[in-house]
Parts: sequence; C-alpha cells; structure tokens
Amino acid sequence: MAMHPRKDWYELTRSTNWTPSYVTEEQLFPEQMSGHMGITLDKWESYDEPYKTSYPEYVSIQREKDAGAYSVKAALERAQIYENADPGWISTLKAHYGAIAVGEYAAVTGEGRMARFSKAPGNRNMAAFGMMDELRHGQIQLFFPHEYCKKDRQFDWAWRAYQSNEWAAIAAKHFFDDIITGRDAISVAIMLTFSFETGFTNMQFLGLAADAADAGDYTFSSLISSIQTDESRHAQQGGPALQVLIANGKKEEAQKKVDIAIWRAWRLFAVLTGPTMDYYTPLEHRQQSFKEFMYEWIIGQFERALIDLGLDKPWYWDLFLKDIDELHHSYHMGVWYWRTTAWWNPAAGVTPEERDWLEEKYPGWNKRWGRCWDVITENVIEGRMELVSPETLPTICNMSQIPLVGIPGDDWEVKVFSLEHNGRLYHFGSEVDRWIFQQDPVQYQNHLNVVDRFLAGQIQPMTLEGALQYMGFQCVEEMGKDAHDFAWAEKCKPEMKKSA
Amino acid sequence: MSAFPIHAAFERDFLVQLIVVDLNDSMDQVAEKVAYHCVNRRVAPRKGVMRVRKHQSSELFPRGMTVAESGLKPTEVIDVVFED
Repeated sequence: MAMHPRKDWYELTRSTNWTPSYVTEEQLFPEQMSGHMGITLDKWESYDEPYKTSYPEYVSIQREKDAGAYSVKAALERAQIYENADPGWISTLKAHYGAIAVGEYAAVTGEGRMARFSKAPGNRNMAAFGMMDELRHGQIQLFFPHEYCKKDRQFDWAWRAYQSNEWAAIAAKHFFDDIITGRDAISVAIMLTFSFETGFTNMQFLGLAADAADAGDYTFSSLISSIQTDESRHAQQGGPALQVLIANGKKEEAQKKVDIAIWRAWRLFAVLTGPTMDYYTPLEHRQQSFKEFMYEWIIGQFERALIDLGLDKPWYWDLFLKDIDELHHSYHMGVWYWRTTAWWNPAAGVTPEERDWLEEKYPGWNKRWGRCWDVITENVIEGRMELVSPETLPTICNMSQIPLVGIPGDDWEVKVFSLEHNGRLYHFGSEVDRWIFQQDPVQYQNHLNVVDRFLAGQIQPMTLEGALQYMGFQCVEEMGKDAHDFAWAEKCKPEMKKSA
Repeated sequence: MSAFPIHAAFERDFLVQLIVVDLNDSMDQVAEKVAYHCVNRRVAPRKGVMRVRKHQSSELFPRGMTVAESGLKPTEVIDVVFED
C-alpha cells in the first residue's frame, strides 16, 4: 500500500484533540494529573514541538541505534575493559549504572503521564515516543553492566541500588520522585524534560561519552551516545509547554518549577558526576574539568534557553556559580571518607600531579580541600588506617539527601540552613534547598533521611555496621573501598617529606 | 546518662556530623567528642582552646555549661571553634 508522505498528514494528526462529550474537560484532564493550570484545551493546541517524527520513522531509527550499540558491545567483548581500564574508570561505570539505569523506569512513568494527561496533543504524541525511549534506556543500561556481575558484585547494584536504602540511591529516588513520579504531566514536561534533560543529561551522556572514548571504553561511549540522541529529542517537550504557560499568564508558576528542578538536579550531579570527572577519571583521560563541562553544557545552555523562552535566570544564579567552584570537592571527600557506604570504589584522585591539576582548575584548592587531604594522606602513609574511616554518620540534607558540607581549610565556611516546621527540626545544605521545602512543605515534610531513620530507631543495631546492613550491602565485597587500594599515597611520599 | 544527638561542624573540617553527647556533658566535653571525629582524621591538630557555640552564633557557650543547661534542642547544629 502506498504511504502518504509525512508532510501531507502530520500537521493534522499532531493537532488532533479530544472533544469530550460524555465527561467534562476537567474529568478528562484532572488538574492534579494534568497540571494544565486552568488553561483550556484549545489553547494547548498551540503547543508546537520542535522535533517531529512518525511511528514508522521512530521504529526504523531506534532499531538502527540499538543495532549500533549492541554490535559495538559484541565486537569489543574481548577487549577486556574491566581487566585493563583504570579502577577509577570502572568506579565511574558502577556509579553511573546504579544511579541511572532503574531511574529510567521512573522516566517511563513520567512520559506516560504526559502521553495520557497533557492537554497538548503534540506533547502526548511525543511523550508516547519518549516512553519507549526510556524503556530502551532502562533495558540497555541493565543489560550492558550485566556481563560484569560475574567479575564484580558491585555491578549488581545497577539493578539493586534503587531497591535499596543506600544513601545515594535515596538521594536519586527522592529527586526523581519529586520531578517525575510525584508531579503532574506539565510539571514533568518542565522539570524532567526541560530542566533536567536539556542540560544535565547532555552533560552526563555527552561529557562522559567523551571521557569514555578517551579511556578506551568504546562500548560505554557508544551506549551513552546512543541514549543521548533520544534525550536530545524528547527533552524538547518542555520548551513548548513553557511557551503555552507564559502566553497564558503563568510565567511565575512555570519559573518556580524550573528553579526547583535545576537546583535539585545540580546537587545530585555534583555528588555523582563531579567526583567521577575530576577525581575518578585518570588524569590523562580528562577532557575538561567538571566546572568547564558545567559552564559549557549547563550555564551557557540554560542562560540562552531561559532567555529565549522569556523566563528569567533562577534567583539563586550567583549561589549556583559559587557552588560550581566548591561543592563537588567536599562531596567527593565525603564519599571517599564514607566509602564503605557506596556501591562503587571511589578513587581519591589526589596524587601530586592530580593536585596540581585541581589547583590549576580550581585556584585555592590546596589551601581548602588540600588541607584535609594532607592529613588523610599522612595517615595512609603512616599506616594509621583507623583514622581514614568514619565512626559516625554525616548529617544529611532534608532536601538533597546528601551530606551537609562546606569549605574546609584556611577559608573554612560551613553553613547549615535550618527550619522548624510542625515541631520538627529540618536541616538543609543551602538556602535554596530550604526555599524549595518552603514552597511545598506537604510534598517533603514526612520524608526521613538516613540520619532521621537512624535516630528514629529504624536502623538496628544503631552502629555504622547496622547502617551498612540497612543500606542493603550483603557482603564486604559490595562495600566501597579505595579504588587503587591506597597506591596513590606512595606517590605522595616525596611531597610529604618535603613539607615535613 | 542521657544520650543527646546533635549535629556539629568543626573548624576547618569540610562537613557536619552526627555526634551523640550526654545531657550532663560540659561544653569542653562536647568539644572533645566532636574533635574525636575530626582532628587527626581531616583536620591537623593545633594549639588553642576548643569552644562551642550555636551554629553561626557570635556567642560562645561557657566552657563548664552542660548540654542540659544550654537550651540546645536535640539535633540542633553547633560549631566547635578554636579560641587562640
């Protein structure tokens, strides 16, 4: 049967909308699920997604993408990446798979919500493809690490992290529940696709793809590049939704959703991606610093996108720029020091050459984080290993679910933002995290972070060992350890002697 | 003995930690309990008296004051800073 060219029918089908007669418009698209903000169906028909495709085209392209990624994997199975790559790179893989793979299924739910409850027909159409995209991402990012499970139990956390109470998994789930599963369709379009996917997945998938190729891991590089081609398409659902909201007098509401999602995404990326780029990736394979990636992929991109749409930069932009210089260095130190609580092996990344690189990229690093690493390094060299592991829990932010940190050393600055609400004392790692809570306390107030659960007696026995068991670690081999078994400290000995 | 959880930042360290103290502890004892989890781990030892204050406060608690007397609430945040 001859097929009509897409241009002959696409405009008609993409703007075809329901005209409800047996139910009201509100019953068909309840505000709680749709998030239409009282804007009527006819106005949502102006939604114009920039990327247009049809089902036959989609299936054909996706088949090619999958065939490409799987064939690279098959061709390189004998390359023995696991055996030959730097342990820091292997840690990057483990952190990525555990934090992202099952989270893709939350994104399936979000796309599904848009496909059913968005009032914009173009949004519903694109979200149906987006739903299939995210299914592919979940499946492929579980399949690829599976081959490593027989070599290393930590790769099993690609699947298990989201079923666990491990702190980083809780941080990821809390974030994705807030921007995806716990939100209406239009909020998902703004918070997931525009705020998170436009900038942050670009950075995770393209930035990491570049590092992967440089590290010789072409399998991972082709996998995440393949995923990113989907992201760059379905991420475009948020922009037109914002245009409809702004055109109908809802700029303030739209802006708030953008501001919340960008900040929350930033904090999660700072703990997961910051350390992998600036500390785990071997020095010779680093393409850019995390800060440089942030400026190229997030700052520049968001500034342009926000202004083009008629939105403003988030009110906290100056705090954000300051954070980009500082936050992930402290997060990294925390993950490394509490490494038994991670499903990957953090690489310290502080040999003299690496410290020189950090000082060059982040002037002042040595007199800040370097001061703490001096003490840690000396303890390792002197064999005082009891001092390079914790004996208590870090305090956790009630929004990001990540430890509360600040600047150590000569410029010491640690600031907690607390709030008493309904008789409970909450602590936040930044003014912005506290502001987010205050925008919608009901959304967040009943959640207990790991320390809250510990103090409530939910973690037994009430020891660090009890906490590790609670987090889901089944054996010592699964708990994080120093990626290089402290070999880096040997390289620091001459420097230590000089300064002694 | 009455265990009392607080959150504590220690001068020159990079984070805030959960520290379990006792209601009868003096502020000097609180400072020692916090220091145990910071000094020689990530903060180099130094001379000077360690003092306790409410987080970001300009006023220090008297050294002999107990936790019970201080009015601190469970899980409130304190700083331990050096008085040179």
